[in-house]
Amino acid sequence: MLDINFPKFEKKDFQDLTLNLVEPINKINLRGKNRDFFAKAGKILSIMLPIDPNTSATIKNISAVWLSPDEWMVYGKDIDKNISLSLDNEISKLNLGSVTDVSDQWILINMKGKNVFDVLSKGSPFNFNKFKSTKNIVVQTLLNHVDVILHQNDLNNVNLFVRKSFSEHLWLWINDSSSFL
Amino acid sequence: MFIITCPFCGERDQSEFAAGGEAHIVRPKQPTELSDDEWADFLFMRKNIKGVQFERWNHAHGCRKWFNVIRDTSNDKIHAVYKMGEKPPIK
Repeated sequence: MLDINFPKFEKKDFQDLTLNLVEPINKINLRGKNRDFFAKAGKILSIMLPIDPNTSATIKNISAVWLSPDEWMVYGKDIDKNISLSLDNEISKLNLGSVTDVSDQWILINMKGKNVFDVLSKGSPFNFNKFKSTKNIVVQTLLNHVDVILHQNDLNNVNLFVRKSFSEHLWLWINDSSSFL
Repeated sequence: MFIITCPFCGERDQSEFAAGGEAHIVRPKQPTELSDDEWADFLFMRKNIKGVQFERWNHAHGCRKWFNVIRDTSNDKIHAVYKMGEKPPIK
């Protein structure tokens, strides 16, 4: 299920900022609209998919992140083969929605510390003023012209998702920007 | 640079969006019955108004949804944003 060839980024500490690669970790993209889709996904994952824009829901080690009105990304250490197979069999094969394993397409980098938003603000057009004081908030935006998904599950603790092919470039950029804090 | 309020995600910078051209162009019901000129007119000819224009935009680096915007092209002032399929709030 998981590709072992993910980038090897070593943990880095800067002034009030720690960067850490959180891989391997399972990520599943879910798309659907109807009531049966929500019911099945909720039952299998034991989590209600958030319907409010830019929000997320986390239970134990599984997080469901809102991406658009009919699209979510579910990730976490507790997502195993059984959950993935159940989603496939009970949603995808019954045409209730689509289930795509995106574990190898997105790289998860955790950014923790008081200076997280100082670094993000250097390369993003997004206004982080409200974002930084809200828990369980999500935003899809650009960082140094690269598409990213930012999920703040705790204050000053951001999970950054970036496409694998852009991850090394963005990692180097974040490191470089962080060194000027 | 200007701010666009995505009807799904909220206020975002223009750099997250892609412009999709003029809105509310209706596809002919029977394209085979059109002359070449009429078909080319539907496919290619677009207004390029200096002033208030109805446009389609896509939140390409966000939710990836399409929506409509009423924008003044002379000063980038946005008069209204509404979802696909909805009627324009301003005529």
